[in-house]
Amino acid sequence: MTFSFPPAIKRRFWGQVFESPVMLASGTAGFGHELLDLNCLSGVGAVVSKAVTFKPRAGNPPPRLFETSFGLLNSIGLANPGVHHVLQHILPIAADLPCPLLINVAGESVSEFADVVRILESSSVHLGYEINVSCPNVAEGGAAFGVDPDVVFRVAQGVSNATDRPFSVKLTPNGGDIVQSAEAAVQGGASAITVCNTFLGMHIDWRTGRSVIKRRVAGYTSPALLPLVVAKVWQVSNAISVPVISSGGVSCGEDVLQLLAAGADMVQVGTRLMRRPFAAAELMDEMKKLTGE
Amino acid sequence: MTAIRDYECAVKHSEEVLPGVMKVVFDCPEMSSVALPGQFVQIEPSPDTFPVTRRPITINCLTDSGFELLFDVIGRGTELMARMKQGDRVRVLGPLGNGWVVDPGSKWLLIGGGLGAAGFQFLMDSVESSRVLIGASTSDRVISLPASHVVTEDGSEGGQGLVTALISDELLGGADSIAVCGPVAMMEAVWNSIPEKYRDRVQISTESRMGCGWGVCDGCSIPMSGGGYKKCCKEGPVFSGIEIDWEAWKEAGL
Repeated sequence: MTFSFPPAIKRRFWGQVFESPVMLASGTAGFGHELLDLNCLSGVGAVVSKAVTFKPRAGNPPPRLFETSFGLLNSIGLANPGVHHVLQHILPIAADLPCPLLINVAGESVSEFADVVRILESSSVHLGYEINVSCPNVAEGGAAFGVDPDVVFRVAQGVSNATDRPFSVKLTPNGGDIVQSAEAAVQGGASAITVCNTFLGMHIDWRTGRSVIKRRVAGYTSPALLPLVVAKVWQVSNAISVPVISSGGVSCGEDVLQLLAAGADMVQVGTRLMRRPFAAAELMDEMKKLTGE
Repeated sequence: MTAIRDYECAVKHSEEVLPGVMKVVFDCPEMSSVALPGQFVQIEPSPDTFPVTRRPITINCLTDSGFELLFDVIGRGTELMARMKQGDRVRVLGPLGNGWVVDPGSKWLLIGGGLGAAGFQFLMDSVESSRVLIGASTSDRVISLPASHVVTEDGSEGGQGLVTALISDELLGGADSIAVCGPVAMMEAVWNSIPEKYRDRVQISTESRMGCGWGVCDGCSIPMSGGGYKKCCKEGPVFSGIEIDWEAWKEAGL
């Protein structure tokens, strides 16, 4: 696509017009329907659901969160009630969302991603999918998948065969070459690339030598990661022909504009929502003031 | 539709009531008209970029035009909160969580460990009759509550000993509901000292490191005896003692 600077706040993405580029990142906005209770969907371009797996997952043992001096470690472990429960009990409520919903899908094997997508195909509630080949907090599937371009290709191809809806492949910043994985995902049929999942992090109690998180390593998010995400978005968007969705590093409207200028088509916000449930509306106000749009 | 809102509240009063323990009173008439005993709020410690999350604090009691918090200064977030002074405007999300299950006319026994008793005032104000047992390490950790029976580990206030020594069959049998709040080890000792026949009336107020505070991030899980987890922020913070998987919860080391 062609870029203009400063970037437009109103976006065209996956054939639709989005008044806001702000998407709520997977894991920070439930399945979307919880947001209806708080009435905090103003300024939200789209919601990305918590990860859905074939079987229910209880998630990792607590503590699952630890705030460091300059960011947040999380080890949730893809806690979710499983695809059948999501289809029958959650998506019907999420139908009331005033914005598009993307369902984040995770799997422990190459075929599980497509299996979960096939089951979700009977719902008309969601616009598309985000395929999560990059969770740092699980033993099977997870980030190990995302660093192997061949596995990324096969996962994307499987999903592509299972649905006509658009899907983004969410990649890891940890290890491997994110540009190669992005190219493999596009070759497999991906309609966008999400750049990127959380950075591997750890906090050790020096008194005991033990990690504060039971699985020892965790996913790290922080406003201080913005330049790292900007660089990866710029690298990936220059290498591929499908849209890029950025994820990570946003704490103000200026950050969103910078990510759009770096080549992102849409911008996810996550950790900011922990502190500001109304972050999307606040970011939109800040951006409009900055650009006069 | 829930009553949860993100308020910008003015600090009305702030003082150190015990060494390292702050009392902060906020002006927020809307909150005081909807909050229930046992519910909590998420406080934004600073308008700056860090910390990136809020701090969950139980409502100690309601005031004429708002609510009061009592909290330990234990980390960077609460250190920033300790500096809040009269007139400061602070983001407060709430009221959050379920609160105590209060049956009309019920008689309560409240068992608190140290700062765990913060929040008891609100419950005492809301029920017809209550008796209060407080255990603390030392007098510097005792929250002052009317007509409470206090013991300290060093004997500096009340009798010397642990709060479990105050629990009697007579007190347990005379209560319709039993509220317990304190450190996990204290709550487990209390739970273990309560005979089987009284356990179904025990409510435990839990705490956890927390992300959102309103049920979307799944970061504050409490292990359940039936398997799996429940969210401290939304399905809790108050759980029936029977629901909790005490071994797994202790293992979490919160």
